[in-house]
Amino acid sequence: MSLRMADASTPQVAGTQTTEGSPPAPRVSIIITSVEGAELDTALAIVRRQAYEPFPELVIVGDVGEPPDDVEVYRTLEEAIAKTSSEVDYLWILHSDARPRPDALSKLVTETERNEASLAGSKLLIAGTKDILESVGSATDVFGEPYSGLEEGEIDLQQYDVVREVAFVRSASMLVRRDLAQGLRGLDDLLPPVAAGLDFSQRARLAGGRVIIVPSSEVYHQGRCNEAGTGWREQAGRLRAMLTAYSPLTLLWVLPYDFLVSLLDVIGSLALLRGSPAVRHVRSWAWNTYHLPSTIGLRRRFSSVRSTGDEELFRFQARGSVRLRELGSELTARVLLAFDDDQAIVRGSRRMTTSPGIWGAAIALLVVLVGVRGLVFTGVPDVGFSFPFESPSVALNRWFNGWNETGLGAPTSVHPVVGLAGAVSTVLLGFESAARTLMTIGFGLIGVLGVGMLAGRLGVRGPGRYLAGIVALSGPGVGVLTGSGSWLGLGAAAFLPWAVLAAITNTGERLTHWSRHGWAVIAGLVVASFSPVLAVAPLVAVVILRLLGTRGPRLFLGVMVVVAGAIASAAFLIGDPAWLLEVDRRIGLDVEWFWPLLIALATLPLAFIGVEARRLGLTGGILSLAGLLIAQLPLGGPGVEESALVIGSFGAALVVAAGLDSFSADARRLAAVLPSMAILLLAALGVSNGRLGLPEGEINERFDFATTLAEPGGPGRILVASTERTDLPGESRSGPGFWYRLIDGEEMTLDEVWLAERGPGEARLLSALETMSTGSDLRPGQSLAPFAIDWVVLLGPSFSLDEALVAQLDLVPTPLDPDSRVFENSAGRPIARVDGGAWLRDGVGFAGEPGPGLVDLAINHDDGWRTDPEPNGWSMTVSAETGQASFEGSHHRSFAAAVAGALLVGLLLLVVGRVRR
Amino acid sequence: MRYAALLLVLALAALGAVVPDPNVPSPGPAVGSESPAVAVCTVQEGSGRSTTIAVLSTANGQVDLALFSGGLAVGTLQTSTGASGSTLIPVGDIAAVGTVGALLELPNPTSTAGVLVGGATSFSAEACPAAASQETFLPGGSTVAGENFAMQFMNPFAGEAIVSLRVVSEAGLESNERFDSLVVPPRSSRSVDFNELLPGRERLSISVSTELGRVLAVGQLDVEGESSVWNAVTASDDWFLPIPAGQPSRTLLIGTPSAIEVDYQVDFYGPEGLEEALVTGVLSGGGQAELDLDEISLETSAVRVVSNGPVVPVFRIDSPEGLATTTASPVEANRWMLPGASSRPGGFGSLVILNASIEDAVVSIRPLRERSSIRELPVLSDSVLELTVESADGYLIESTSPIVAMWVARTGAATGAAMGVPIDDG
Repeated sequence: MSLRMADASTPQVAGTQTTEGSPPAPRVSIIITSVEGAELDTALAIVRRQAYEPFPELVIVGDVGEPPDDVEVYRTLEEAIAKTSSEVDYLWILHSDARPRPDALSKLVTETERNEASLAGSKLLIAGTKDILESVGSATDVFGEPYSGLEEGEIDLQQYDVVREVAFVRSASMLVRRDLAQGLRGLDDLLPPVAAGLDFSQRARLAGGRVIIVPSSEVYHQGRCNEAGTGWREQAGRLRAMLTAYSPLTLLWVLPYDFLVSLLDVIGSLALLRGSPAVRHVRSWAWNTYHLPSTIGLRRRFSSVRSTGDEELFRFQARGSVRLRELGSELTARVLLAFDDDQAIVRGSRRMTTSPGIWGAAIALLVVLVGVRGLVFTGVPDVGFSFPFESPSVALNRWFNGWNETGLGAPTSVHPVVGLAGAVSTVLLGFESAARTLMTIGFGLIGVLGVGMLAGRLGVRGPGRYLAGIVALSGPGVGVLTGSGSWLGLGAAAFLPWAVLAAITNTGERLTHWSRHGWAVIAGLVVASFSPVLAVAPLVAVVILRLLGTRGPRLFLGVMVVVAGAIASAAFLIGDPAWLLEVDRRIGLDVEWFWPLLIALATLPLAFIGVEARRLGLTGGILSLAGLLIAQLPLGGPGVEESALVIGSFGAALVVAAGLDSFSADARRLAAVLPSMAILLLAALGVSNGRLGLPEGEINERFDFATTLAEPGGPGRILVASTERTDLPGESRSGPGFWYRLIDGEEMTLDEVWLAERGPGEARLLSALETMSTGSDLRPGQSLAPFAIDWVVLLGPSFSLDEALVAQLDLVPTPLDPDSRVFENSAGRPIARVDGGAWLRDGVGFAGEPGPGLVDLAINHDDGWRTDPEPNGWSMTVSAETGQASFEGSHHRSFAAAVAGALLVGLLLLVVGRVRR
Repeated sequence: MRYAALLLVLALAALGAVVPDPNVPSPGPAVGSESPAVAVCTVQEGSGRSTTIAVLSTANGQVDLALFSGGLAVGTLQTSTGASGSTLIPVGDIAAVGTVGALLELPNPTSTAGVLVGGATSFSAEACPAAASQETFLPGGSTVAGENFAMQFMNPFAGEAIVSLRVVSEAGLESNERFDSLVVPPRSSRSVDFNELLPGRERLSISVSTELGRVLAVGQLDVEGESSVWNAVTASDDWFLPIPAGQPSRTLLIGTPSAIEVDYQVDFYGPEGLEEALVTGVLSGGGQAELDLDEISLETSAVRVVSNGPVVPVFRIDSPEGLATTTASPVEANRWMLPGASSRPGGFGSLVILNASIEDAVVSIRPLRERSSIRELPVLSDSVLELTVESADGYLIESTSPIVAMWVARTGAATGAAMGVPIDDG
């Protein structure tokens, strides 16, 4: 500043410019508004240096201690304006933290006179900097959101030095015609600086005045008045300025529009993990509601001065919403930053074409887009282990209160993903189908991005790191998982890189200590929600990376991921330990023999090239081969199998990221590139079906006859059986010579994928099926009726049940599905039976007409049901008095509370981390 | 550490190659098949005929009878076999129905039922089949003048059945679109009148092929007011047939459902013991052979028909004393039930027991009725025993060696004959 001040051109004193016979220079009164923290004496001293004749009289507004004798002091600006002599032509309103150049006033007056303006603002430069621009007048959008067009840190090179009309000028330095100021009664005392300037500028324009910026009038602004234009007070001020200035007709559309923009701002900001805009908007509306009477008073006073319509304001307003545009830019920048560490795209530099990550990311995204095309057009298939979400209220209720509806029901917890699905559906306003589709499409992007970010953090920045994401999503293990319809496996594969990333730090990252811990907790919760055992993988990866000499991985963060994962999945694993331990429950997926060979071939040369690629490649190779080996060994149940396969793909992705880090004619590099390319191509083929490798099929659509033809008591259950396990949706049970399971006749949903442990009802059902399959049961429908089985569907090749059901009396063959044998149970009964009728499903429970009798529930007996549960063999009855039958699991809430608590801790750590930063 | 990691990668890859692929999980072991304790009987009510169903069981248990027609149960009855393990059910007491089917749910797997259709000048008897096979065969049809031949297809089950017929006569393979994809709705029966479709055929044999569901098929031949009923059965290559004495005009019809030639041999068990290969011959594809048993012997005897392809032998008595037809038995057994076996009022009845095994047998013969007495008789190896029967609901015959049993009854000008039902002791 001092340099600039020193270099200032010789002041052109207004008086000296006048020639003989010219009219005298206008009289000006300088009103210095006191700003807390700004030195008033210095301000006065600098103002006194103004080269302007006749020298203006000085007025101070605010609470000042002992003012100089030649200075008048007023309490409010309105009072100061009102008391100004009618001989004064202009008022120069100046903040006490403003440091004008000596010619600032004369320039203002000269240009105001020349342009016949009523209000003029100075160019503001940030005090203490090398001429960084703060304001050269601003445009606004219709909501008063300022838009200066200045980039952050933009230096004044006189590039904006043109006198022009603007939407508003800052109140830090503004020259206003005295008569107009008195007509408008000055600035609104309730408003903060920027909003006050906006409000005054708008009213001045509507009163018929011109508002201009005079860049040649330069003022250095210390910014002690907090004229950043942010904060809820400024926002509230802008809203009040709108309410004061706009006509009722404009307000009629602009207020709802503003509300909508605010809502989008809140949602977008939440996506950026910023909660403050929400608070700001709420406070802003509350403040204006509180001050509505004074706003109405202002409008009334202003109506007598108003001489033009709102169109005059619209002329200087930008289209759309500045706020949303900035938010969109930030979101885009964040996304691009993920793919573009060098910010080549963001900066639009010529380096874009040679930026290492961009082309790899672009190709990977293209592959993903091709890979999800079917999901976009037809949604996620209902087949294998991929099924629709329940409505969010039911899913969350099931997760909080329990009652696992698989089979004949069990009090054990459902898979943790049910809670996650319910939460995501809730965020998407209850559109669970959209939530499922968006999540699945998101898996593609998240997986690619995650591997790219992880490899980048581990020092591998070549094009292969994003392409490797495709291997994580469709490599050796995940490929067979998704091929069997494992939606959970796909989700786990997408989030695993992020969980590992959460356990790795580097020196350049912007996260604080607290944030890192928060991310570790959240990553553990998310990844374990998809695949509980997989939460161990980040810790294993950290250990291997550290052993290989990588510095970033943190053991403690890895442990945090594991602990968070354990919290997320504890209820499920305790309720069904066989899912973790029982080998017979494995899906039995087989990885093609060539995958381990390719991975080994790709890993070996990496051991002899660059440090980062070597560490990453060897880590990936060990993880992948160990994962695939574990999947092959008869160790653990389906949970272990699923995790091992996901790790198999994840490790392969790291190998590919390292292998395709760079391309050269070097023999070792070539030896790494070729098998890596082969792995990548095979993985890309895996997602090319348009469903990210998920198989085709719509079991629920095929079985919708159960709903269409349901009795008034609603659809019961469907017994599906086949000799081929893969024919059946979700997990199945071993029967006499065939696999079988029960599914909900209404629709099979995600919570039904994994079966709870056999209850007493399942034992009875198995016994009934054994008898049935001998062919000796003449009335199998009657035998199945106690289980509320309305339909029997036989899939795959003909087997013993087909033969048995040829000669029986009460399962009626019905040609409802060309690809299966469907039998309707003519002896069927509703799941919740009451005398002379049935109760219907109501969320997790049942509801119907209250009455004095009992409700006969075809579910496994458990004392958690309400009210008055009584065993009835394997099943139970409850009292019909309340009209409701609901379940309250004894331990579910504490487990759910633990997960919610862990999530809260994670979020809290993130918030603390942000604040600390 | 780099080399250690490298070694680990190699070791894991090697292990991956060595460790076998995971076992594909397989479901639990399949359980064996068992037939339900049921029997399906043809029922003819009206036109001067009435049907009685005889139920025999080794237990005192409940019997559920349902007369099914047009998709509905047109009559039901719940009764019990009582202390004797037997009961007779006059269908006329349940409902006035025409030609329908009856499904009987029996007390246990060692139960059986037989049908007795009687009229003023007619009498026929046959065991009610328990299981429905996919492929059955029925030789012995005739549509020459004075003879009316029809088949009844009964589907007591929940699903629709579709059958196709392959009809062969002395003119060769008969072609008629009404033989293809014959729909038998669930809980219904359907008759095919061959006199209408193929009049003037002397020898008809019908192969019944079930395309969907299951049906039980019986043939019915009416000759001058007398009638006989016999079951379509699964063809086999070894058959036993005890033959009662004193019945003139006894013939053995041997038919094959095979499309190619089948060699057959008839071993004869007469008073002189076993005479192997008394008759041999060749059946043309779908052909039928007729053997006049009177020419061989008028005594109580038996034959065993052995072939190198599937055949079905049918025993027929066609004389002024009556008409009776029954199918031979493909098995020997130690226990036999003869539902309905009884002397006829004003007539007589007899049991014929063949011991075709290499050991002599002692058979205990027990009429099932209240206050019955058991007779024990020896039956030498390769010999046939015939003895008269008393009035009963049926007979239970138990033997120390595998035997084959049938029964025959005559009253006035009406004769009925039925092969016994072997009881599998499991």
